[in-house]
Amino acid sequence: MVSLLAARSVVFDYPGPLRALDGVDLAVAARELVAVIGPNGSGKSTLLRCLSGLARPGAGEVELHGRSIEAFRDRERARLLAVVPQFLPALPDVSVDNFVLGGRYAHLSRWRGASARDRRFVALALEAADAADLGARLMSELSGGQRQRVLVARALAQEAEVFLVDEPTSSLDPEHQIRVFELIARTVAAERGAVVVTHELNLASQFATRIVLLDGGRVAAQGTAREVLRREVLEPVYGGQLYYGSVGEGEGERPIVVPWR
Amino acid sequence: MRRRLPPAALALLLAFALALVVPLSMCVGTSWQPPGTILRGALAAAGIGEPLPGVLQTIVELRLWRALTAALVGASLALSGGLTQGLFRNGLASPSLIGVTGGASLGAALAVLAVGGYAPRLVMEPGAGTVSLLMPVFGFLGALGATTLVALLASPGGRLSVPTLLLVGIAVNMCIAGVFAGIQSLTLANWEASRAILAWTFGTLEDRSAYHAATVAIGLALSLAVVPFVARELDLFRAGEEDARSLGVGTGAVKALALVAAALSASAAVAVAGQIAFVGLVVPHLVRLGSTSRHFALLPLCALGGALFLLGADLAQRALLGEGVLQPGVMMSIVGGPFFLVLLLRNRKEVGAW
Repeated sequence: MVSLLAARSVVFDYPGPLRALDGVDLAVAARELVAVIGPNGSGKSTLLRCLSGLARPGAGEVELHGRSIEAFRDRERARLLAVVPQFLPALPDVSVDNFVLGGRYAHLSRWRGASARDRRFVALALEAADAADLGARLMSELSGGQRQRVLVARALAQEAEVFLVDEPTSSLDPEHQIRVFELIARTVAAERGAVVVTHELNLASQFATRIVLLDGGRVAAQGTAREVLRREVLEPVYGGQLYYGSVGEGEGERPIVVPWR
Repeated sequence: MRRRLPPAALALLLAFALALVVPLSMCVGTSWQPPGTILRGALAAAGIGEPLPGVLQTIVELRLWRALTAALVGASLALSGGLTQGLFRNGLASPSLIGVTGGASLGAALAVLAVGGYAPRLVMEPGAGTVSLLMPVFGFLGALGATTLVALLASPGGRLSVPTLLLVGIAVNMCIAGVFAGIQSLTLANWEASRAILAWTFGTLEDRSAYHAATVAIGLALSLAVVPFVARELDLFRAGEEDARSLGVGTGAVKALALVAAALSASAAVAVAGQIAFVGLVVPHLVRLGSTSRHFALLPLCALGGALFLLGADLAQRALLGEGVLQPGVMMSIVGGPFFLVLLLRNRKEVGAW
């Protein structure tokens, strides 16, 4: 399987004694939705920043299409790789439409404004992210959940091949949590790849094709939901306060993990 | 939401007002000259028709260069302010805060100190008919140097931090003020040099010539030429630099371009007219409140608005108080502070909306 995006032995240090990432390998191919899980401070977001080319690893390499991500120009990289941040500032006087149009930046030519085609991409992306009704609103008027969906829409408008998503469901109600993961899974089905950092183990169980468990800046385990979401694997990392069960039968059976004292 | 003017409407309005205020400002002075005289004198200065009799032609030409210089200086400072605020994502950033103004002043003072003794005619402006060729050059170098220093010191690990910027800006300005005061103190005994430096800090629009207007015009034109290369990018900067980069913005290049453009226009303006505060801070706010915060329209509107603002303030000052009472830098400080305060208090919410 050819990977779209791969981290090889990535090391990253913030100022201070602790390594944020200590030799992480992670690859994502087309049609893969890789969920990165792990406790707070395990290096998930740092890994995402390294994968996106926005942070430079102290050692190791990140490759996009087999080429070092540092060799890409920013525009070139943005046409292949889209980032969905967890939060952004509220942006008081930007309409949702114009904000999502920002996702088209890497496709726009300098001397021409947004074309009808760009506008169409924006409309389609908003519709796919369940935010078609928000287009004319101001970013500052949106709720946290609405803003999160708009961020997903902007990444879709970017037409990238790989999506890097940082906790997309942290301010969403259960229904929208499922819808956002469904949307990412649908996108991935169209020959895209996605790396999703999440604390939602059960959504990862349902939607991820592979789960990577980070602990202390290292990959503690990786595999399918059934391989990773087990007591023997999770307990050393998360501690004992989890209840393990399963939903579904046969091929469709998925583990569920619930915080339970 | 408050009502806002479409950018094109505001541009037309400003251009129209400017077309009225430039000639009006030429009519007002120690003696009122009717618009017809002004028009004939201005045409003669451009080589069309007969010059006005006697000293009148000189008066009209002096007023023409004064008006043009004032308009161009206002435009340059406001454009620089718009660029600086966009770059630093902060409505309190201004050419003065990031060291452009102080750096330009220091550069000019160093010019007086370094070459004033050997080649006074190049820096000291002993009188009308001679122009200081070196002041704008040193002013520009000083502005660029100070801005670069502030930006670098405020970028630990290569990433510019806005809270650090505020502190570093204040600290560097203090250092510059110290050196500047030192130079003033050293030159105290030299009447010509200290007068040149002091006069320069107050700023002046008196005795401006075609050279002055042209210097500012070049800075302004170069700066405006940068607008298409940074406008869309600065819009995306508003959600954070890292976010802009993830969308494909070459943030390093945009920062460098915007910074050079901001330093270029402000330093040309300051080099020609001295320190003039508040135009760069207030005009971008007014444009954002009244019309748009999209930089492609905002930046040119800042230029138009700044031209009108400084020229209008200078006109009002001369109409009310008579010619030469206050230098433009002094007037702006007296009027600008309270004006900005009222603006902030009346629009607490919207002023954040940039």
